[in-house]
Amino acid sequence: MPFPRRNRSLPLWIALAGAILVLLGASRSLRADDAKATAVLTDSETVIGQPVQMQIKVTGARGARPPGAIVVDGLDIRYSGQSQMIEGHNFSFSYSFVYTYTIMPERPGTFQIPPQRVAAGGKTLMTEALTLRVVDDGAGQADEDADEQTQSVPRGRLGFVDVVFGKTTAYVGEMIPVEVRIGFRSGLRVESLGESFTVAGQGFTTLNFTRPRETRQNIGGQSYQVLIFKTAIAAVRSGKFELPPVEITPGVLIPRLDRSRMPRDPFNDPFFQNFFNDPAFMPSERRELKLKSKGATIDVKPLPPNAPADFGGAVGFFQMETEAKPKSGEIGDPFTITTSITGRGNFDRVNAPVLADDQGWHKYPPTSKFDQDDDVGISGVKKFEMVLTPNESKKEIPALTFSFFDAAKERYVTLRSEAIPIQIAGGSAPSATPASAAASNAPAPGATPKAQAKPDDILYQIADWPGIGVAFVPIYARPIFWALQLFPLLALLALVGWKWRQARLGDRTARQRAKLQREAAELEKRLRKGSAPQQYYADATRAVQLKTALAENVNPNVVDADLAALAFHLDETMRRRLDTLFQKKDELHYSGGRNGHGEVSFEQQQEVTELIDQLRV
Amino acid sequence: MKSAILIGLCTLAFLTPARADEPKQFADANAAYAAGNFEKARDGYEALVKAGQWNAALFYDLGNAWFRRGDMGQAILNYERALALDPQQAEARKNLHLTQERARTLQLSDDWTARVREYAEPETVAWMAAAAFWIGLFLIVLAFFARPRTGRAVLAAIALLLCGGGAFFLYTVETGNRGQDFAIIIGQNVPARVATADSASNILTLPAGSEVRLLSTRGDWSYAELPNDLRGWIPTNTVERVRL
Repeated sequence: MPFPRRNRSLPLWIALAGAILVLLGASRSLRADDAKATAVLTDSETVIGQPVQMQIKVTGARGARPPGAIVVDGLDIRYSGQSQMIEGHNFSFSYSFVYTYTIMPERPGTFQIPPQRVAAGGKTLMTEALTLRVVDDGAGQADEDADEQTQSVPRGRLGFVDVVFGKTTAYVGEMIPVEVRIGFRSGLRVESLGESFTVAGQGFTTLNFTRPRETRQNIGGQSYQVLIFKTAIAAVRSGKFELPPVEITPGVLIPRLDRSRMPRDPFNDPFFQNFFNDPAFMPSERRELKLKSKGATIDVKPLPPNAPADFGGAVGFFQMETEAKPKSGEIGDPFTITTSITGRGNFDRVNAPVLADDQGWHKYPPTSKFDQDDDVGISGVKKFEMVLTPNESKKEIPALTFSFFDAAKERYVTLRSEAIPIQIAGGSAPSATPASAAASNAPAPGATPKAQAKPDDILYQIADWPGIGVAFVPIYARPIFWALQLFPLLALLALVGWKWRQARLGDRTARQRAKLQREAAELEKRLRKGSAPQQYYADATRAVQLKTALAENVNPNVVDADLAALAFHLDETMRRRLDTLFQKKDELHYSGGRNGHGEVSFEQQQEVTELIDQLRV
Repeated sequence: MKSAILIGLCTLAFLTPARADEPKQFADANAAYAAGNFEKARDGYEALVKAGQWNAALFYDLGNAWFRRGDMGQAILNYERALALDPQQAEARKNLHLTQERARTLQLSDDWTARVREYAEPETVAWMAAAAFWIGLFLIVLAFFARPRTGRAVLAAIALLLCGGGAFFLYTVETGNRGQDFAIIIGQNVPARVATADSASNILTLPAGSEVRLLSTRGDWSYAELPNDLRGWIPTNTVERVRL
């Protein structure tokens, strides 16, 4: 059943009337309220580097102009933004404008933020003065929670840099491990560490910094993210050195802790609490920190006198192992000595061990390779490979010595390897003579060679002037070489020409033979058909001439009966028949065209055909 | 006709550089050497070298003069030059070995061409390769005009292969360790460095007379193949090419 119509329209009417009353009340309240301005701090006490917010709230005005720059010595105050609020009470509504400022304390102390002038509703309003106390960060006090290496880290700092020297008293050349610890309060985002830094100045050599190791430390109840750089320094001269502090200016993003934004957690949900408290999602401000460590004093003592002759400046503690390959050979053969020096110290000053006795040996400059087993490079193994060749028969490779200064025991130590037995075949080599000493042994120009030259001295001068000079360019780059190639080239061209001509001549002969063969075949056909006697015998004679010419490779026109008989080795009977054939042809040819019978008889044709068929080689 | 020939001979005599002084200069330098005046002898030989009168004997004698002066790098350089001009010169080879031992030089490693050179010098190989080339071409021509061709074609292929092998050998020798870029260290204990700076790390210290192969030059530095299969930068003024 439908509802009565009147019941449905009543709430709408009431709502409209309420709205009109609200608007009337609001306009009346706006006119009625007095404009006022108040200023509050989110915290009245903070530490250096921890920002607080100041809010200036203007109520009872439709618009306001906030104060411009607020300058207080020791505080960095910057405008952050504004928000607007409408508040209603018993149909009385009021507008509020909130202007927010971020205050970054720069030094400890109690600061007065003076009253601020706000223009609102055509009037000038003044806020009350505020007091902000910035807590002293406790510099110089030991932190009970910090470990030994970060005792100098002040409490409450946004960051710190601390340099830890492995020792403050060392010998010249001794490696001093150094650790640079740069810490940032958790929650800060580090954009850069600024310019590079050094830990030692003049009078020191410094190894390269390692890649930083990252760790987290709790110092004074505050969690820090700490980057640890390692290196090592070594003094190059003795004395007392004041090492300057390490100064860095890292760029960091500092989150703004706006507690007024989230006065209450609307969802009361730990997830949302964590989400909104994550610095990555908070508005942040970029700032360049100025971090500075404390200076240090290093006392560098000189190395004691009377160093061993083979001492090359190595300071630390080392051990030596030596091996040789091969164990046998001949005079002049190379022997490779591999020496491994293991330990901790200044490996850049660890030189190759030296032979205790190098008489009778040729030494070649050694090669070296260093494999470090720490981050910095002051511990590891340095391997030397040295090639020796014996000049004379030897039974062992002499001992190798290596000297260093042991800083812990404060004395020089000389390591000496054992001599390595080897076998060398061959006789003894002559001892060397200085070059200058051999000068007087030079033979006169043109002297007989070899007889006057000592075995260990250079040979005689060549006295004969060889004449024409020669060039260093290889033979194939000289013009004469290529000029000489013209001769085989010409010979080759001549051969090609000759062969080509021969081929052409051969072709002509072949063509002529083919022509003669074709003519002979044609004549044989005609002879089988028969014709007038004059023509018949002329054809038969021509056939004989052609066959003979093909057999003897001669001109067919010069062939007569004797030549044909000779060519085909005919007997007497056949020879007479050939003569008869040639005579008959001549008779018929020279006696007139109509002499003789009208036709050649079958027997005569058969006789001629048989005769021609028998003409075979 | 006679006058034309006479004019031609006179012109030829005028154009041909006078060579009468060179034997005398050479003899004078030898005399200075025999008298123990090695500096004068060296200068005499150097003057002939500068005049372009190059021959193996001259470089050999010059090498001896440098040896007597105690400069092993220059001595080895000139012995190497003598051998480059005449690989069969036994005196230069003997003195070179002796000087290398004295100076404790470092030497480049030999490649496969060294074994071939024990039997035939590059010049001989060049002539043999040329002969094989022409023989191959002749056989190809003969094979072209004859039947059957197989035998001659095979022989031609063998000849051309020999020619190609010879050419490859010559190329390898020329571009190898002892080719056109073969050089000798003339400075004393020259450090080879990883970069073109005096402060750069030292790769190898090269005694005078050590062998290198120059690869490139940058400013006052030369990049070189070093003994022990290393490469590094050495000052250009401490090294000289064997070939002039």
